[in-house]
Parts: sequence; C-alpha cells; structure tokens
Amino acid sequence: MTIRMKLLVGAGALLSFAGGVALAGEDSAAPEVKKHAVPTSKDGDLVVGLCDGVTSLEVDGVKEGQKLTREQALRVSGALMEQWLKKNPDANWDPAPAVAQAPPPTKTPEAPRSPPAVPSTPQKPSSGGTMVGGGVKPESGGKDVKKQQGANLQDGHTYGAFSQRDEAIWAASTQAFVEEGNRVFHDAELLGGTVAVSCDMCHPDASNTHPETYPKYQVQLGRVALLRDMINWCIENPVRGKPLADDDPKMRAMEAYIYAKRKGTPLEYGKK
Amino acid sequence: MRTPPGVALPLAVLLYALTGHAQPPPKQAVPPPADLPPGVSPVLWKLAVPEGAAPTPERVSLGQKLFNDKRLSVDDSTSCSTCHDEKFGFTDGKPVSEGVKAQKVTRNSPTILNAMFNASQFWDGRAATLEDQAKLPILNPREMGQPNPEAVVAKVKAIPEYQAEFRKVFNRDVNYDDLAAAIGAFERTLYSGNARFDRFIMGDAKALNDSERRGWALFNGKGRCNTCHAGNVVSPLFSDQKFHNIGIAAHKQDFVKMAREALKVVRTGDEKQIDELALQTNFSELGRFLVTKQENDVGAFKTPTLRNIGITGPYMHDGSLTTLWDVMDHYNKGGVANPYLDGGMQRLGLTEGEIDDVVAFLFTLTDERFASQGTKRLAEQRARKGQRPERDTAVAMGKKGNLGDLAPNPDLDVKNPAAIGVYGTEASVKPASTKKP
Repeated sequence: MTIRMKLLVGAGALLSFAGGVALAGEDSAAPEVKKHAVPTSKDGDLVVGLCDGVTSLEVDGVKEGQKLTREQALRVSGALMEQWLKKNPDANWDPAPAVAQAPPPTKTPEAPRSPPAVPSTPQKPSSGGTMVGGGVKPESGGKDVKKQQGANLQDGHTYGAFSQRDEAIWAASTQAFVEEGNRVFHDAELLGGTVAVSCDMCHPDASNTHPETYPKYQVQLGRVALLRDMINWCIENPVRGKPLADDDPKMRAMEAYIYAKRKGTPLEYGKK
Repeated sequence: MRTPPGVALPLAVLLYALTGHAQPPPKQAVPPPADLPPGVSPVLWKLAVPEGAAPTPERVSLGQKLFNDKRLSVDDSTSCSTCHDEKFGFTDGKPVSEGVKAQKVTRNSPTILNAMFNASQFWDGRAATLEDQAKLPILNPREMGQPNPEAVVAKVKAIPEYQAEFRKVFNRDVNYDDLAAAIGAFERTLYSGNARFDRFIMGDAKALNDSERRGWALFNGKGRCNTCHAGNVVSPLFSDQKFHNIGIAAHKQDFVKMAREALKVVRTGDEKQIDELALQTNFSELGRFLVTKQENDVGAFKTPTLRNIGITGPYMHDGSLTTLWDVMDHYNKGGVANPYLDGGMQRLGLTEGEIDDVVAFLFTLTDERFASQGTKRLAEQRARKGQRPERDTAVAMGKKGNLGDLAPNPDLDVKNPAAIGVYGTEASVKPASTKKP
C-alpha cells in the first residue's frame, strides 16, 4: 500500500466518522496510521515484532539486516507466539491443527500454477452438476438436439446452457487461484519478507485467520480493518515486508486461499 | 409442432433423469503429453480427450496421411488440408472455402489449431466431437463431394497401403468410423499455446510492448472482449464456446421471415441435412438456429478461439471482414442491429489509438511457430488500415443512434489493470513501465 493509498483509506474512515458531512475531511490531515515500532537492540541484534503491535523478540546472534533460515524463522515465530499466548491465556486462539502441516509448495519459477501442496478444500456436493439439466448444451451436436425434441426445455445459449465442462473449468480455475494463494502464504520471499517468516508459521493451514469476522475493529490498527488490511499488517510485522497494494495479485491470491480454507463458515462480520 | 405443456414436463423430468445424471465425466482421463506448451491447459486437455480417443502415434500418422490425401474427395482434387492449410494457420485464407469443381461454400474455414478443445465443432456446433465433424465435409457436395460413406470406404479400401495400415492400426477392415477416428487423433496433436502472450502472462513483462499491454487491458476493460472471448489459465482459448448473434449477416437478411421458412424445410436434427443447408443455402446465415430450432439462436455463431487469430483471417463465419481493424470497427459500433442481437453487443467508444492497441494485442496470440506468418499478415492488414468499410465513428462515439453509455475507464498511464491477474492466478506479472507512450 502506498502512502497515497493509506491517505485515501484514512480519508474514507474520517468520512464515515463524519457521518455524511459532505467531504469535510477531504483536505484536512488524515488521522495517524498506527505503526508497530519494535524496540532496537543494544547489541544491534535483529528484533522481530508480532502482529499484536506489542510483543517483540530479540534474536540473539543475528544482526539487524541479516537473513534468517526457514528453521530459524520457525523458532522465532514459535517463541513469539508462546510469549503472546502467555500474555493472553484467554485468547480465542485455536490450537495448531493436530495433523502435521503439509510441506510448503515448491517455488520454482517454472511453476507459477502451483501444484497442490495442502489437501484441497473439500467440495460440497453442491458445487457440481446440479445446474445441468437435460437439453441442448453448447457442446451438443445435431444428435442431441434430435433426442430432446418435444421436451420443452429452456435453452438460452448465453447464460442458460452451462454444462459440466463449463463447471469443471470454473472449479479448476478457482482452485488454481487458491493454490497460488497457498504458495504465497508459505513463501517468505514472495511475501517480500526479509527474515524468512511466512504466514503459515503462525497460521498453519490458514488456521486462526478468521476471514469471516471482517470487517471488524482491530485494536492494533486503531481502525476498522478488512482481511487484506490485517494481511498487510502481518506482512509488516512479523514478516518484515512491504505492505501489498489492495489489488496486488499476491494479496488477491492470499485472500482466495484464506477464504477457501474457511468454506462453510457463516459470515459474522464484526466478531471479536 | 410443440407438445402441450402437460406432456412436456414429465418428458423433461424423464430426460433429466436419463441424461442429467447418466453422464458422469469420463472415468479415466487420458494423461496429457508431458511437454504441453504454457498456453495449453492440462486440465482442459483431460476434459477434451475422452477415454479411447487418445492420439496414439499409429493413429496420428494414419490420420495425418488421410488429412492430406486428395483421394478422399470424389475427384481427387480436394483434401482436408485444402481448406485447412498449415501455411494459413490451418485455414485457407479465403473469405469462404472452395471445394470440388471450384464450388464455393457459404462459410469461412475455421482453424484446426486447438479445435480439439472446442466444446462443439463447426460454426454452429452441429457436430459434438472431432470425429463427428471429420465425417461431414467428405460427404458435402460442395466440399469433398463424396455421395455416401460407403463410397469413401470403397475408395480407400482399394488403395493397398491404406488397407494394410488400417488393419495394423485398428485391427479390422477400413470403415468410416475408424477413418474419422484417425483424422481426429491427428487433430488432437494440433494444439497451440506458445505465443508471446504466454510468455507475458507467465511473468515476462517485457514480452509485450506498451501498445500490446494497453491492448490487453482494453481487451479486459473498455473493449469488453473477454465477456465472450474468455481467457483463463484453465481454458486459455479466449472463447466461451457459446453461440452469439453479433449481427454479421443482419444487413442482408430478414431473419424473422427466413427463420419461418427454414422451419418448413429443416427436418429434426439431421446433421447431414443441416450440413448441406449450412454450406449451400441462404439459411446458412441462421447459424445455430438450424441445429436447435430455438428462436434465440437465430443468427448465432460459435465464439471462435482467438489463439492465432492474426494468421487465420479473413474473419467471421462468412469471412466478410478482411482485417482485425474491420472486426474492431464492427464491435466498436455495437454490431448491426437485428431482433436477435446478443444483449452484450453495445457500442464501445474505442478511439483509433485504442483500436490499434487491441489489434496489436491480438497479434501477440500467434504461436511462435507461425511467427513469420504473423509478421507478414500484420503487414498486410496494416496496409489496408485506410480502407475501413465497417467504421462508423459517430455511432461508436455515441453521437448518433442510441446504443448506451460507456462506463468510465481506468487511466492506463496511471495503472494498467492487465497487470493484476485478470487471466487467472499469475502473480508474477509486473508492469514493465508506467511511463507515458
């Protein structure tokens, strides 16, 4: 998110506060956007902040600016989470899934259409087949037409005659988008992070992301946030990357992945 | 002619019960070749190649021989490749095709490239599969002119090399189904998806120049091309495989009268009769209606793939538009009004510069294998840019007629929406530059 976009979001928030006062806030200064300022280490060690905006951890022996390996990053994120859970014993935080987390997807540049790395989201039976009745479909030739003569079926070709082929293409396209999100979610480098921390370290298999609860007031941000705002907050700390634009394909793919992981959960905006 | 509703409903339910659930997707999909190019989707491959139709090397080689053999026609003058010539991207480069005795048909030859992925074959979808399709031109009096399948089989059987090869490949005597299966197998090797566009969408931002990238944005935005020419990582054909009336033949037909007359002539769903009506009579212009007899299909033709579109002109079902500039002019004015015009047809308000950009983008869909053809055709089309019979700027810009308002469009100099994963999942495409052209 560029500074300009942040200002726009800020102005939008101000407008909604003003409650209809016509464009009053347009020219005035945007409210300050909260930042998580992590303390600096005496020894110049790397300090990684957690997304609660308070907790942070000094990594002994690693200087600021140095890179972490995935193993080190896993230890750091684990220690941060432990600290946070100690501070917030009553937090509504689901324990990590009992099953071992799937290995992160490969990140060879030749494979941008990521192979499935985690078990694909179980599909409800409703997601295929039910729309297709009998009748003439786009792929029907003369023979099928002959078969259906006399049956007064609706046959609008533009939107009416979707077939199993169409549905298979839709399902596969959606799944490809979700898998791309899966890949980004597991890849600190793609996220633009500098310390090897990726989303899956605190949110294995997208657990505890609660996409269904947005929009909601996020104390760390000091404003009402959408899921993408929270993703960006985590990208700043602890991932240590630059926030993504709202329409960045990586952001869109991650949203797709996180929502896909919560299929069947009722929407409950504003939930704490 | 219509059944009373009381009969129709139970019939519909019965048909639904019989067809709706009795057609599970093929159980064992044929595995796609390992070396598919980036613009060919393995998922679509599996959907498009049914069990038992795998292109085995033996079938392909027999099919290729048949495809190029003029002896399949009645007077040894015409082969499949006469109208589907590799030199013209597997079309013939003519407005409408010519068969035996230099007879003209009424339709433009569509490319075989990626035809294997079509949901149905022919401009009106009158054949459901490649195999069904392959049988018809051989028997059409104006194409290859054979009187009936038996005559074709007899003629092929009399050629010793074929007799031996059919026995080797299919383990039985020459017959019409096997002949079509062999040709179908050859056509299943003619996939194409190695275009400059594919390099772009896989993350090489420099594969397209500024004009082409603007064209891609217009394609997905102001031009609204993607509504029907839908391109997607799973179905990268740039076609929805549906049928739309875009008003190509409307200025020379009274569609209403013609549809009424056609109903008297057309028997029920006989592919051979439709084939002859489609290629020899004025009823050709009724398009999908000849197949379905549904009023909303009058004048509707299948959305063709845009892959290799630069080298497969002239355009439209009747080859009436010579260049892609003509095609853009047609769409820019919202097509030609007629009672069955697709609701999506509205003026686009594209400027000359924007039309140039979209055409530039369309030429990036040419497979690298045909790159030199692409360059040649682009030069030819550009040379005709002054002749624009379809152009109606007043209508396109909303100064004449009443074809609706346009939505505001993003400023491409600020941001090119084509850079943000419209095509599907690609996260790696970055805008190469944002500087003004």
